[in-house]
Amino acid sequence: MFEFKPVTPRVQAIREKYRNTRPKVDINRYRLVTEFYMNNPQLTGILKRAKNLRNLFENMPVLINENEVIVGWQGATYRCCALYPETSFNWFMKELRAGTIPKREQDPYDIDPEDEKYLLETGDFWDKNSMSAIVDEYMPRYHRDNMIGNGVLFFGAKDNCQSPVGHFVANFWNATQKGFGAIRDEARAKMAQYEEEGLIGDTIYKYNFYRAIDIVSEGIIHWSKRYARECERLAAIEENPERKKELLEMADCLDWIMEHPCRNFHDAVQCIYLYQLSMCMDGQQHGISYGRVDQYLGHYYEQDIANGTITPEYAQEIMDLFYLKVAECNKIWSEGATKSGPGYTSGQLMTLGGVDRDGNDATNPVTYMMLQSAGRLVLHDPPQALRIHDNTPDELWEAAIETTKKAGGVPTFEYDGVIIPALMKRGIPLEDARNYCLHGCVEPGVGGYEWAQPGGTGTESYLNIANAMLLAINNGINPMKFPGAPEPKQTGPATGYLYEMNSMDEVLAAVKTQFDFFCKWQCANINAWESMSSFHNPLPMVSATMEGCMESGKDVQCGGAKYNSTGNSCIGLGNVADSLNIIDYVCFKKKLATTRELYDAIMANWEGYEELRQIINGEVPRYGNGNPEADKYVDFTASTYAKAINKATGPRGGFSAGCYPVTANVIFGWFTWATPDGRKCGDPLTDGISNVQGMDKNGPVSFLNSVLNFDQTEYGNGTLCNMKFHPTALKGADGNMKLRTIMETYFQEGGMELQLNIVSSDTLRDAQKHPENYKDLVVRVAGFSAYFVEVFKGCQDDLISRTEMSM
Amino acid sequence: MEEKVLTGRIYDIQGFSVQDGPGIRTTAFLKGCPLRCPWCHSPESQAFYPQLSWINMRCLGTEACDSRCIKACPKGAIELGDTRLDAKTMTDLQMVHVNRDICDNCGKCAEVCHPHALYICGEDYTVDQLVERLLQDRKFFKMGGGVTISGGECLCQVEFVVEVIKRLKEEGINIAIDTTGFAPWETVQKVLPYTDLFLYDLKHMDSEKHKQMVGVPNELILENAKKLAEVGAKMQIRIPVIPMFNNDEENIRKTAEFCKGLGDAVTVIQLLPYHNLGVTKYLRISDKPVAEATPPSDKQMQRLKSIMEEYGLPVTIH
Repeated sequence: MFEFKPVTPRVQAIREKYRNTRPKVDINRYRLVTEFYMNNPQLTGILKRAKNLRNLFENMPVLINENEVIVGWQGATYRCCALYPETSFNWFMKELRAGTIPKREQDPYDIDPEDEKYLLETGDFWDKNSMSAIVDEYMPRYHRDNMIGNGVLFFGAKDNCQSPVGHFVANFWNATQKGFGAIRDEARAKMAQYEEEGLIGDTIYKYNFYRAIDIVSEGIIHWSKRYARECERLAAIEENPERKKELLEMADCLDWIMEHPCRNFHDAVQCIYLYQLSMCMDGQQHGISYGRVDQYLGHYYEQDIANGTITPEYAQEIMDLFYLKVAECNKIWSEGATKSGPGYTSGQLMTLGGVDRDGNDATNPVTYMMLQSAGRLVLHDPPQALRIHDNTPDELWEAAIETTKKAGGVPTFEYDGVIIPALMKRGIPLEDARNYCLHGCVEPGVGGYEWAQPGGTGTESYLNIANAMLLAINNGINPMKFPGAPEPKQTGPATGYLYEMNSMDEVLAAVKTQFDFFCKWQCANINAWESMSSFHNPLPMVSATMEGCMESGKDVQCGGAKYNSTGNSCIGLGNVADSLNIIDYVCFKKKLATTRELYDAIMANWEGYEELRQIINGEVPRYGNGNPEADKYVDFTASTYAKAINKATGPRGGFSAGCYPVTANVIFGWFTWATPDGRKCGDPLTDGISNVQGMDKNGPVSFLNSVLNFDQTEYGNGTLCNMKFHPTALKGADGNMKLRTIMETYFQEGGMELQLNIVSSDTLRDAQKHPENYKDLVVRVAGFSAYFVEVFKGCQDDLISRTEMSM
Repeated sequence: MEEKVLTGRIYDIQGFSVQDGPGIRTTAFLKGCPLRCPWCHSPESQAFYPQLSWINMRCLGTEACDSRCIKACPKGAIELGDTRLDAKTMTDLQMVHVNRDICDNCGKCAEVCHPHALYICGEDYTVDQLVERLLQDRKFFKMGGGVTISGGECLCQVEFVVEVIKRLKEEGINIAIDTTGFAPWETVQKVLPYTDLFLYDLKHMDSEKHKQMVGVPNELILENAKKLAEVGAKMQIRIPVIPMFNNDEENIRKTAEFCKGLGDAVTVIQLLPYHNLGVTKYLRISDKPVAEATPPSDKQMQRLKSIMEEYGLPVTIH
């Protein structure tokens, strides 16, 4: 039986500090970047980004907190948050002027008065200098003139793309085993070669790329050495001889790593943390993920244990301290965006388990150490994804289930048997596909080898298919009216009105037309964004290690990586599947209402049509109950969307379909008119690939039977399936086995991903009433977990309403 | 003349039924039982006939549906009842009340109640229908999992049960029969060839007390258990631990001795502590609240478990 051992006192002390420190805005990064941009308008493109980052490496404060072993930070105080104005800043200035940041419902932040003054004086510079402002200018004309207000796409007239490029995984094998000294030398050799040849043809573009690589490689080595000097300074004044020795060992490590290949476990942990942090500092913390941490660290650990140079206890303590450093990371989101990713999360997902490139089980001692840290520290961050395959050891299953009982949804369970074929469908060869990891929320990609860009542009990557279905039965017009807004106009194809349709075939044809149209424009807009992002916001720090970039002399955003794709995600799969079935059942099969009556009921937001709504909610068979009749349209919905996305291409490669709304299903629900499935305007859309909330009444087996009705290998960008179990259903070792069996069966039958909350609705309701008693209750929200008491009420209610699977 | 199609009366089907036998199982609950255990947590399982049930939380109020149920009832058995505060709108909803003295369970009101606040509990399935439904879940039947036929007392509908489990057995499905044991031996024999495991209840070793409490004596039950052991059947013995009835040391020891006598037939003894979760279910089908007892403490359960273990028996607390 997997057991969680007690943590050391210093780890406990840091954990308490973490839970008791309210995050605060730190303007060090902001000040350096703003001054750099103001003073260097002559710099553009990749050199601007490289030199901006070098400036940060040289001038950011170097902070080492009490008792830390793994170090590195993006500000001057514990658990502070840096600002990243280059992406978008209008939302921040608006909230700053309104004075709401310290007191908002979700994820408030404190700001020092003098910092606030500086921000107010300088912040408007970014109004015309951020990526968001640039993207607004370059949005396609047709979209701007004809499609604003469609409610399907998140792209609008202004303030597009407020999120940065995120959800990527660099190559940590190159960072730890090669080092940036070697990468810098390689870049310099290339530059010398091109200078010798005379920069002929298009080599000048590559030359500029290698210049940037040289700059950032030198920069990160310099940064690490600054931390080494700080360790030495602290050692000199340290009175405790043990800590003094530790600080000197840390100095030795920081002096060596980044430039040279790592020598041991401590080197490797510090190296992956600092490298990850450098990318966060450069490109924002937006689901930038770690990839296969146990695979980077396992051989160093085993070597150190064999040499007797580390004890398992000290190694586990280093792991705990590393986890607490990652948990400390947070970024401020706009108040609106906090509702889609609540709980101070930075989403630095780690992957563990799975198979190696030859298909053998890749579990190693570090795999278990990761679960040990997550479970015993009860942390929601970093999120973890466990790769399950047909030979996953029993002990690992056991450890993972025990961990998820302690920290809801940590880890998530991902199935190699579906994900590897899904990746091969987008052209990745078997050996490399086996090396995949999860990006951001739940998106599969070959970290370090593939620029999967699974989160695309951020929020804009979500496509509201429930609204596309509404447009299909309303002649291309979004029925959602906002107070004071102009009359709704036609923004999608004129597919006619529901009351003009005489058969289900006509309804389905209309839906397909809308899906195809909006998927086309979704990808077009993302491509418009990428054309600008790849020029103004290249990522040389990632490209330095990414397989393929150094060979091709191209940045990751310009197609330098070995493999390329762009992800997308739909929202409302369950709403559409149910709506179609309801139209079929109510209007065509049983003739309980005419298409006119159903149409009028929807447009009236069901007011005056309560009886019809009751019939729909009470009588019509619904998706999620293992009823083949009711599940008939989920495959149509899922495959119509996936086909339209998967056939689209961008400047670097193909698009890839996904279905993982995070909590955007709640937000998008606010802006979606009533739907045929009985949902009222403003109610949440469906979560992940699940059914309409509360409509699955036959327990987990029937639920999974329903969900298995579409081909998940077409969803290379990931699916998300949340399940909530009542704890009594899974008591003891026998309960664990039953849970494992149900998961294994789901996977073997074609399921990709599962995430679990083993907590009762009663507990959650009590936690709403008495948050003080549930400070450490971690629950799975969607692509990430959070402390339940720290998420906003709408999201809490949604969690409670997800059906609880019991006996 | 047309041949009558064999049907069985079912009141529930549950997937992932983790309490009813090994592995992941789907359980079909058959309606009707000759016993009347006062602690029964499924009171709707007792009567053989389809019953009008009423779930207060589902009712949207007579205003929302224009009192359709009241109008539909030919007997005038649906009356205005209490009000319920709706948490979402903070308004009082007018509920209805079923006058059980008049209601004949005809179901006319349920037909017009879309949110299923009023519904008929008990539905007739043909063998084909039930087998098809149960086989839907078969891919999850691992780790010794399968189908459990439970009740009520499923052996009261033995002809139907035999046809169902015969078909399931042909498909290679593991079968458990959950029974009170109160049926003629000839009836038990009919299911024997297709049954992998019996979930077998023992409530009290004293026949007089048994009869007083549940309405029937225990001789037949004990005899059947012995015969099952003789013919090599496997049994999980289930003992509902009811305070002030069967939780005294004397009865537990006698039960243990009896189980010991069954030898290898007993795979495990499950002690099921009484719980009062079924209490609200009584109000769905009647106006009479049921007597409530205090559930036994963990400590008490552990004590009973260790007494039984003195006899070398495998015991678990469920």
